[in-house]
Amino acid sequence: MTTLHDETEAVDVSDPRLSRFEIVKEGARRDDIEIVTYESQFHGTDSKAEKRVVRNIALLFFIAGIAGIAFVVFYIAWPWQFELGNTLSDYYTPILGLSLGIALFCLGFGILAWAKKLLPHEVSIQKRHDGGSPTDEQKITGQTMLFVAEELGQGVQRRPLLKGAIGLGLAPLGVAAAAPLIGGLIQNPHRDNPPMMFSTGFNSAFNNGKQVRLTRSDGTPLRPEDVSTGGQLTVFPGIPGGATNEWADSPTLLIHLRPEDADVARKNADADPRNKGSMWGDYIAYSKICTHAGCPASLYEQQTNRLLCPCHQSQFNITDNAQPIFGPATRRLPMLPLTVDDEGFFVAARDYKDTVGPDFWERP
Amino acid sequence: MTSGSRPGRWRFRGVFTRRRGAPSRTRRRLGAAVRMIAALALAGGVYTAFAPGAFAQDNTTQLSATAQEGKQLYENSCIVCHGRDAQGVTGRGPSLIGVGSASVEFQVGTGRMPLTRQEAQAEEKKPQFDKDQTKQLAQYIQELGGGPQLPADGVYTEDLKQNPDALARGGELFRVNCTSCHGFGGAGGALSSGKYAPSLHDVSPEHIYAAMLTGPQNMPVFGDNELTPEQKRQIITYITVQLQQDKDPGGIFNLGRYGPVTEGLVIFGVGIVILVFTALWIAGKS
Amino acid sequence: MKRRKVDLAQAPVTLAKGVDERYQVATPLRALLNKVFPDHWSFLLGEIALFSFIILLLTGTFLTLFFDPSMQEVTYHGPYAALRGVDMSAAYESSLRLSFEVRGGLFLRQMHHWAALLFVAAIVVHMARIFFTGAFRKPREANWAIGVLLFLLGFLAGFTGYSLPDDGLSGTGLRIASAIMLSIPVAGTWISASIFGGEFPGHLIIGRFYIAHVLLIPAALLALIAVHLGLVFKQKHTQWPGPMRTNTNVVGERMFPRYALKQGGFFMAVFGTVALMAGMFQINPIWLFGPYRASEVSSASQPDWYVMFMDGLVRLMPNWQIYIPIGNGYSIPPLFWPAVVGLGALTTVPMFYPWIEARRTKDKAIHNLLQRPRDNPERTGIGAMAFTFFLVATLSGGNDVIADKFHISLNAMTWAGRIGLLIGPPLAYFLAVRVCLGLQQHDREVLAHGVETGIIRRLPNGQFIEVHQPLGPVDDHGHPIPLEYGGWVVPKKMNRVGALAPAIKGFFFPVEKPAEAPVSPALPPVTAGEQREEITSGR
Repeated sequence: MTTLHDETEAVDVSDPRLSRFEIVKEGARRDDIEIVTYESQFHGTDSKAEKRVVRNIALLFFIAGIAGIAFVVFYIAWPWQFELGNTLSDYYTPILGLSLGIALFCLGFGILAWAKKLLPHEVSIQKRHDGGSPTDEQKITGQTMLFVAEELGQGVQRRPLLKGAIGLGLAPLGVAAAAPLIGGLIQNPHRDNPPMMFSTGFNSAFNNGKQVRLTRSDGTPLRPEDVSTGGQLTVFPGIPGGATNEWADSPTLLIHLRPEDADVARKNADADPRNKGSMWGDYIAYSKICTHAGCPASLYEQQTNRLLCPCHQSQFNITDNAQPIFGPATRRLPMLPLTVDDEGFFVAARDYKDTVGPDFWERP
Repeated sequence: MTSGSRPGRWRFRGVFTRRRGAPSRTRRRLGAAVRMIAALALAGGVYTAFAPGAFAQDNTTQLSATAQEGKQLYENSCIVCHGRDAQGVTGRGPSLIGVGSASVEFQVGTGRMPLTRQEAQAEEKKPQFDKDQTKQLAQYIQELGGGPQLPADGVYTEDLKQNPDALARGGELFRVNCTSCHGFGGAGGALSSGKYAPSLHDVSPEHIYAAMLTGPQNMPVFGDNELTPEQKRQIITYITVQLQQDKDPGGIFNLGRYGPVTEGLVIFGVGIVILVFTALWIAGKS
Repeated sequence: MKRRKVDLAQAPVTLAKGVDERYQVATPLRALLNKVFPDHWSFLLGEIALFSFIILLLTGTFLTLFFDPSMQEVTYHGPYAALRGVDMSAAYESSLRLSFEVRGGLFLRQMHHWAALLFVAAIVVHMARIFFTGAFRKPREANWAIGVLLFLLGFLAGFTGYSLPDDGLSGTGLRIASAIMLSIPVAGTWISASIFGGEFPGHLIIGRFYIAHVLLIPAALLALIAVHLGLVFKQKHTQWPGPMRTNTNVVGERMFPRYALKQGGFFMAVFGTVALMAGMFQINPIWLFGPYRASEVSSASQPDWYVMFMDGLVRLMPNWQIYIPIGNGYSIPPLFWPAVVGLGALTTVPMFYPWIEARRTKDKAIHNLLQRPRDNPERTGIGAMAFTFFLVATLSGGNDVIADKFHISLNAMTWAGRIGLLIGPPLAYFLAVRVCLGLQQHDREVLAHGVETGIIRRLPNGQFIEVHQPLGPVDDHGHPIPLEYGGWVVPKKMNRVGALAPAIKGFFFPVEKPAEAPVSPALPPVTAGEQREEITSGR
């Protein structure tokens, strides 16, 4: 160690004549630090500049204190419970933020000003000790580690039984430790019947084999005249809880096209084997769940007949089997085959033919 | 063309016309011809404004006094694009037959019409017509072809004192039907290829109602069967009370309620800037 | 028993002695108090992240006292009228409760959220500083890798936190997260089903994210931050080149008294900034978003800013799907590439950059002196490239809001992003390298010829010459002897060499005025640097 700080002589700290700063300097020297500059930022003992700085710092601390008290007072006394409209309570959070912010800022700048303006200006130089330990130290530690490895490793090498036993004994234990931690989480996505992954609430299996009605979010069924021309409605399967998140894949957009658009849409749908005959009159229904990332694609433009997904801007052409025409979506929105039951309410003729929602590996 | 008897093949938008059924095409053509003659007669200086019945064979073409005023305005400002008797001009403007007075109230009342130039979407501007003139235009279009009308009583919002539930119901309906385009905070949003859903922060209840009823531009129509008048009033109550009038409780600035985009801008523009300047001061010489 | 008189003045001494007898702290404590830190504004950026993290722990703990991570359906009956009677999950209900029915709850929630945004923002800014100055070079490669990991953890902490209130926006985010999991080839459906406990959204995800958000991720963050700071401490901070500064020393202030006090003050300033922002700017007004419903969505649905680059990449990705016609047919959706591969690559490849650069330049030396960005144009170019990529991706994450507010076509924004992502980074590389070389060139010119004085002299023969102020000694003909390029600030204006006072007094001035030597009598000779280097290589 001593070779490292031989620039200045060591001082004897027991010397009673030493000032405290000289002892501090000796400490710094022992830490390989040379204090190059340590001097007051002010000239003389009673400098005007110093007094001004002290006044400013004191002022900052006072303001911090006052703002702190204000914060507590506001916190207790200001009306805080939410009320509708433009009320005092709407300013509760701003007033808290303002008072606490001012308090902390003034405290912070007070401390900073103290450190920066009041404390002596300092330049110290400390040596680094980069680049590894002494070679003999490296060697000793290396040999020690090799020794340990040899003791254990060769022991195993010489005793093949031990080798096998470690493999066979410890590996299962590792699996056994992991199994309860991870195993409990694993769910088979294909286990339900009908498989949830591939069916929605419009599957008649969830309605005792009867065709499922299209309902509003409050569960009331829909008649064709409930949707105006150029209008659209988000519909849900008419089964218990059909509009809840239990059936997150089921929300469907029912659109009433204008006659000229409906003609185009029908022609395109009938030309497609999967969507043939799925429209009912001028009504068309698509899954609302975007085939890209699963957001509800529901920005329906009634004149251009585009459907836009607000999450990643995929655009679908409603009159052409909801083919994606822009954005990252590759697959068209599945079309729900529509019909009307005996009572004149919309029902799903059957479940979606295509899988609803974002794509995945094994989607056929 | 498939037969018009299939469900949903109504010729006109809006509920009132649909219920009544549309006038036949010949009848309309005839009416148009008659109105043209009437217009010519007017131009010829014959004072026949109150006596078109002499020429008319059908009473439906008889315009009320208000509609007559509207017709004058129409022929000054709208006829270039929408054509004579609102039949539309291909490539310039659609037919206004059957759009109803509500549509006029919205389009003209918000200054969207008359258009200044052809764009992806009509912009909201300072209205060119005052309230009375808008009413006259609306009346004219209504009498020409019928269509959705604003409720006569002029009540567009619910009274929260009598019906305190309306706000929450309106909020639910707003989130199901409106937020996908106009956003949770009503700030509006982009649609495809330069179209957009406008902000709702300074729209009057009347215009919101008219917009829902008529589906202006690319907005879907929310007829009275999709959203009952009561539901419409609930939605408008939510928009006006919660989104327009209520002061945001979370701060002086609500950052336009655009969500994480403006928040991200602020953390760099305000937070990081303040702290970097502080750091500059800490390490600075002075 | 005789009562001894307690000597109060001696009490601390006795106590200190007692402590040292038991724990032998005197020497390490002195070393700690004396540790020297260099002082530069850019060294304080990491501290912003550290202090934000402390604020996050404090406010987060408060929030846990009121938050209920349950997806149980309940009906709201609280003071917020516009949701009264609405069915919602208990998580959302308790988030509303802590916003409206807990005194100061909304303020602390907003502080938590702003501190989170600031935490990641500071990490990114700090990382940029480390990168552009070459502070990641040997011996600090591992600490750079830890820093990249900290960003990734911050990203995850942010995303899980964003999802917890179970509002309309966070539910949409969760849905996209589930779609991203589904997009993973072969195992996608299994991963999604395992994490969500069945089909999306299930009843478990909020609880699981909660424990990740309040325990697992913060614990990992805390551990890594400890290692990160420990390494900075052990390896000592890097410093800029300059007078007295060499590769083997640290020039600055001892930790105590001045440096630590500055840090404390800065912590208060960060705390104050977060408090001020929480009061002034509303963030994430969950009450407007309503409870999450799978059928509801808002225009301008975005993640928080640090996830936006990934969302932007997802938006820009063309619709290329890979079909594998085996058996029933399999497919890899386009979502997989930007969201899984992209995020994975963008958070792991940078981790290895220090080794990549060292290998390319065959540089095995230890570097404790920073490089100015201009002194390593290639690295600066790569950084500019990465930054441009990140910027274009992030902006594309908000392209619908930009399109809406600036009346640009949304489709045009997407195309601009796609093209910008390909063209922007190489362009930025080229520009950055040229700018670096130009700045270097200018430095060299000034070193060779001196500072331009702005004085034009006319010689007797009618020739005009521009007068330069040499920075160093001159030769017999009065021409400056060219100075060696030092990789540090070269004064380029006369006021920087003492001709005038600085234009703006002090504020933007460098910490150590390069032209100014310390006034202390202990001033070392100019050549002291080399001497020290020899002595310190104690091998």
